[in-house]
Amino acid sequence: MAGALLRLLRLGRTTFCMRAQITLYCLFIGRIAIEGDREGNREGFIVNTAYITATGTYLPGEPVSNNEMVDHLGRIDDQSERLGRLILRQNKIQTRYYVEREGAAYRETNADLAANAAKALLLKSGINADEIDLLATATTQGDLIVPGHASAVHAALAKQTTMGALEVASFQSVCASSIMATKAAALNIQAGQMTRTLAIGSEFSSRWFQPGFYQYVDIFDDKETRMAAEFLRWTLSDGAGAILLEDKPSNQHQSFRIDWINLVSLADRFDTCMYAGINPADQFSLKQPWSHYQGGPANATQEGAIMLLQDMALLKRIIRAWVGEYLSCIDEGKINPDNVDHLLCHYSAHSLREEIISILKTTGGMIDEEKWFTNLSTKGNTGAAALFIMLDEFAEKQIAKPGDKVLCIVPESGRAMVGFIMLTAQ
Amino acid sequence: MSQAIASTPHSKRVQRTLRGLTVVWTNFEGLLERVPIIEKIYQRTFRMEDYQAFLLNQRQQVVDGGCWIARAASHVDVEHFDLRSTFMRHAVTEHRDFQMLEANYVATGGTLKEIRERQKNIGAEALSAFMFERASKPNPFDLLGAMFMIEGLGSRKAREWGLMIQEQLQLEDEQISFLLYHGEHDDDHLAEFETWLEQVVTTDDIADQIIKTARIVARLYALQLEEIEYA
Repeated sequence: MAGALLRLLRLGRTTFCMRAQITLYCLFIGRIAIEGDREGNREGFIVNTAYITATGTYLPGEPVSNNEMVDHLGRIDDQSERLGRLILRQNKIQTRYYVEREGAAYRETNADLAANAAKALLLKSGINADEIDLLATATTQGDLIVPGHASAVHAALAKQTTMGALEVASFQSVCASSIMATKAAALNIQAGQMTRTLAIGSEFSSRWFQPGFYQYVDIFDDKETRMAAEFLRWTLSDGAGAILLEDKPSNQHQSFRIDWINLVSLADRFDTCMYAGINPADQFSLKQPWSHYQGGPANATQEGAIMLLQDMALLKRIIRAWVGEYLSCIDEGKINPDNVDHLLCHYSAHSLREEIISILKTTGGMIDEEKWFTNLSTKGNTGAAALFIMLDEFAEKQIAKPGDKVLCIVPESGRAMVGFIMLTAQ
Repeated sequence: MSQAIASTPHSKRVQRTLRGLTVVWTNFEGLLERVPIIEKIYQRTFRMEDYQAFLLNQRQQVVDGGCWIARAASHVDVEHFDLRSTFMRHAVTEHRDFQMLEANYVATGGTLKEIRERQKNIGAEALSAFMFERASKPNPFDLLGAMFMIEGLGSRKAREWGLMIQEQLQLEDEQISFLLYHGEHDDDHLAEFETWLEQVVTTDDIADQIIKTARIVARLYALQLEEIEYA
């Protein structure tokens, strides 16, 4: 049945209406495929090809050096800064960006950061905001708990551009939400539903790191909890990145064809690893989230349920699972490391990169280090924005030649997830 | 998986085998996360009775560990003489491990009689039966897949579990040396492992068989942990 449909599509004997029906059928049975074969050629029920045709970045304020971090984040105690120096030696981040304050108030919201990245993209691409069919957003935490982040970004963009009513999709996870947004933006084009879609990743992590978030918490004296909080405090920073997807490559800028996108969650086996909204004592049972406290959110805060934390012991185990998923992609023929010309791999700390490389080298999974592109050390770890901020600089520097294969990998520790995108430079 | 041999070049077939084994290993680690007794270690709810049950249930299998390697060595033909010697040396380093495990059990308040008389649980029966069956065949090279998993448990998991258990139960070193000792010791075995693969993985079929045996061992090892019987 599926083979017959594919042949019909290839023979070009279908009407638009039939194609739309077939597309819907494929979506319905979950068989829409954007899988690649060994050579990275696309196969499956794709009506159109999707290309990344423009990118944009917005980083708030000025670059902040390691010594200036505490002036922005606020001072907790001496121990915090001692741990900070240790963590910075491991993550090797040199500069990052934080939303600045005007008096006591922040100058921007998370939605503003996202809107500014989209504006930077629109300015570069020459596309009008009202030509966009879909706004797909990715973030770890929007400004509001309700409604979705995409609505806020849409409103912020509409205020400053010609953008009118359009379809939106809010993806909330951690770093890999950028893969989810990209996949939604790509699928709508590949399914023939849309011609121009925008995916935006944005993070305003630093607001979580204000000393006030920790001040009521006795458990902050616990060694593990302290490390779980400080690792993120000295690693994550603010910023936004955007990518434009279209059904044809751009005449003006280097474009990247989407060959395939793959995302896998390993929450079936791993516990929650990076989280906010629950006391670390309830990390595994997840039975008492912040909203369950009888005393309300104020009580939840005092009980230590409102902190952004990273379980470092679990993270070490999850790293090996990410590598396992990558090696499975090689075994399945999706990725051939020898054919990858550029690797854009998001990782939170340089030390994690070293751990990954040591496994890859012995298993034929290594992609030569000179093919790795990263801007972690200068732009900081911007979570869900990081992939798009990397892609923007990668495209700006015109590093890829036409035909080059560009592999993007975004692991997420949240509850163990990893996403892959294979691109072909045009 | 070992960092020490990270820069050694390998033939493509050996790399493919190691990749297949690494995928089996990472899936196995994921499987272990949801095995009840291991989940307790990770979720910090591990009790002394869990630790004693763990030792009681491991002992017979650790005794067998030295034996099946020795049996496998006796079935390696003269053309693979070097490998046979290596297997024999390896068996020697393994075959006293159970004594440390017994000592740990006694140090936690158990008796030697108790741990020595303990029968294998049904998962350990299956694992042991499979190992000896394979070890009895001529040139049982697929057992390299089994060794990869067992060594991985030693180098990756034993020390990780040992440190977490020690912290949770406030144990002295002599109560948990079996788990801690493995972590310090087994990296050398993994370095050796790759040179063995170079010698025996001459066809894709051998590579596939090694990977399949690793999968079977992963499943059966998890099974013996799932089937842990308490005193």
